[in-house]
Amino acid sequence: MLLQLKSIRKHFGGVAALRGSNLDVAAGEVHLLMGENGAGKSTLMKIVAGMQEPDGGEMFWQGSSVRFRSPAEAASHGIAMVHQESMLAPHLSVAENIFLGREPRLPLGWVNRSQMMQRAQSIIEEHHFPLQARWRVDKLSPAGKQMVEICRAIQQGSSLLIFDEPTSSLSDTETQEVFRIVSTLRARNVGVIYITHRLEELRMIGDRVTVLRDGETVHSGALADLSTNDIIRHMVGRELTSIYTRTPVPPGEELLRVQNLTREPVLKDISFSLRAGEIVGLAGLIGAGRTELCRALFGLDAIHQGAVTVSGREVRIRSPRDAVRAGLALIPEDRQRAGLATALPISYNFTMASLNQVSRFGFLNHSGERRIAADYTARLRIRASSGKQLAGRLSGGNQQKVAIAKWLVGHARIFLFDEPTRGIDVGAKAEVFQMMDELARGGAAILMVSSEMQELLQVADRILVMRQGKLSGEFAGRCTQEQIMRCAAFESSPATTEEQPG
Amino acid sequence: MIQRLLPFLTLIALFVILSIASPNFLTATNLSSVVRQTAVINIMALGMTAIIISGGIDLSVGSILALAGLLGTMTMEKQGIAAGMIVGVLTGMLCGFSNGLMTTSLRINPFIVTLGTMGIFRGLALIISKGLPVHQIPPSFSYLGEGTLLGVPFVLWILLFCALAMHVLLEHTRLGRYAFSIGSNPEAAYYAGVPVRFHTTAVYAIAGLLTGLAGMIEASRLMTGQPTGGQGYELTAIAAVVIGGGSLRGGEGSVLGTLVGAFIMGLLANGSDLLGTNPYWQQVIIGAVIILAVSFDELRKRKMTA
Repeated sequence: MLLQLKSIRKHFGGVAALRGSNLDVAAGEVHLLMGENGAGKSTLMKIVAGMQEPDGGEMFWQGSSVRFRSPAEAASHGIAMVHQESMLAPHLSVAENIFLGREPRLPLGWVNRSQMMQRAQSIIEEHHFPLQARWRVDKLSPAGKQMVEICRAIQQGSSLLIFDEPTSSLSDTETQEVFRIVSTLRARNVGVIYITHRLEELRMIGDRVTVLRDGETVHSGALADLSTNDIIRHMVGRELTSIYTRTPVPPGEELLRVQNLTREPVLKDISFSLRAGEIVGLAGLIGAGRTELCRALFGLDAIHQGAVTVSGREVRIRSPRDAVRAGLALIPEDRQRAGLATALPISYNFTMASLNQVSRFGFLNHSGERRIAADYTARLRIRASSGKQLAGRLSGGNQQKVAIAKWLVGHARIFLFDEPTRGIDVGAKAEVFQMMDELARGGAAILMVSSEMQELLQVADRILVMRQGKLSGEFAGRCTQEQIMRCAAFESSPATTEEQPG
Repeated sequence: MIQRLLPFLTLIALFVILSIASPNFLTATNLSSVVRQTAVINIMALGMTAIIISGGIDLSVGSILALAGLLGTMTMEKQGIAAGMIVGVLTGMLCGFSNGLMTTSLRINPFIVTLGTMGIFRGLALIISKGLPVHQIPPSFSYLGEGTLLGVPFVLWILLFCALAMHVLLEHTRLGRYAFSIGSNPEAAYYAGVPVRFHTTAVYAIAGLLTGLAGMIEASRLMTGQPTGGQGYELTAIAAVVIGGGSLRGGEGSVLGTLVGAFIMGLLANGSDLLGTNPYWQQVIIGAVIILAVSFDELRKRKMTA
């Protein structure tokens, strides 16, 4: 065994993050680490990579007991981590990043630049990465940055590599690239620990799987012996026969009408409408303009041409403030950055978009705010000690709920969800869908952007498809993944595509 | 918890130590002189608290103090005390307002904007006064900085009033809440429909108003309008906020903390005067206190979020 973890424990304040986690990783295997948000995967990996010290338990590296006090110490044993969000120096070159802290030296402490460039280039070429040693890192795509981190790990002679959700922000081609790299590493007898939420990618790369739940290892074994449902059951701790079911309601009045909306060059002549009680999916490839459409509707980007009508009244939305007033809500893809004030209490976050409701003549009504916080914490089953808890200390799924709750407190009736399930686990996904369903049944109209085709087919009443900034099709009722794919990627299809052969 | 209370404990410890070490410390004359000396910085620091909470910074407050004091006293020469006070305070507010306006409309980092206006406001004060202080001030104006009301320095009443008003503003009004939101995550605030520009500008204007008032108090204490006054005050004000738990990353800070921070520095200065410490050492001590205070605070936060 390369790495063995035995009943690792870790507490943060009064909260137990790990309460007995076990994990064995052999050389030359890809070991999947699964679990819901807050199950303790990241904490466990931080302990392995020397970023945090455990409170209890034992760690064996190649048979001998170890304890790492810093990432440098873990690295010296041959353990490296490829982070979800790049941990590189953006203004330096690829080569400089690969050798950061380990630069080849000349006498008097000078850096041997030419040797550094050469060695970096040879690592890149050996693995057929589409990179150049002299390129600046901030010009690279997310996948490119991950490749640099991988090169760095290879340069350090790592025999164990940890990937923390490497594909969550990557396109399909980039994802394939990461898979290829992982299998190359396996072929070289490197051990790989791979954290992911995407059930569909498991089978493509994994050998064995370990599932964590509430800080404990609940299952560990060969992937081939498990069905996807088994894994979900282990993760969630209960049977999820179907993740979610939608009960459509007859659509009511038209809440949003968009006519000939244009924003050069990303949005061209887009027209559609949303009615009360509807969940409308928005499909398309990355770069098709789906996020741009949400941004333009919400007043974040200017609209060059076209009209937007809310509940029969034409509105001019020039800022998020206008959008909020018109009854729109945007749950952006990047929730940490744009959706949540993590250093503030959750009660502040709940009322951020609708402070008027808990204030009069500019003065706040604190007891009213506390009531709202208590009410929504309970209704959305948010795991928090009280409304005073800082939003940043909640788990990912609970943060997502707070970001959504912000809009439930206000009077929003038109919801734009941009990739609402990205980066969250099955359990939290089901709860988000449940929330959307409740909103729709309460008379809201929902536009949901998603790259997960299955999800759209399951949740949406209608699906709009975008391609290269235009609406390229609309599917009402039954359709297949293939039909949508074709519409998103290739030819434009007529407005009603139901009769098209699958 | 103990670490959150650290500034308070430091203040109390300092008070006790000085009471024992110097017989002259715990006297009415000395204590009221501490209050008078700290009041100016304290009032400026209250405004700075709001700015720092909203994620900004204002390096120009020392220059605003001088310009406001100068224009205020110049008006006073001809139009009387009331007109002079109004002009002084409004000058401060206008300066703060323009800082805020430039930060929000030009979208330049407030550090840079106020670094620029620090020079501009100072230069304006020197140009207008031709570099000469104003001396023709009605004698009764000295009451503002040197008078007493109900046995305590009048400036203490002003300070308490300003502190209370700022506390209410930050904790009980929409403006204050928006300042916290903007400081904690400006993007999330903007996405939530918070009028970010308006409230940012308002925060700078309010801080400017307080600085203008502080400028008038300073002028009253010295009985001159000094175009060169207030140099380096901006850093002392920032230090007071930071010692009191304010974070330069925004979203954190409190009125009580700032008051404690300003008084810690006031007592340190007063104590080293009384004990006859080499005045050059004062700066070293205060500098060290700032670094210590912030490192303790960082330690506390890291423990919380780890």
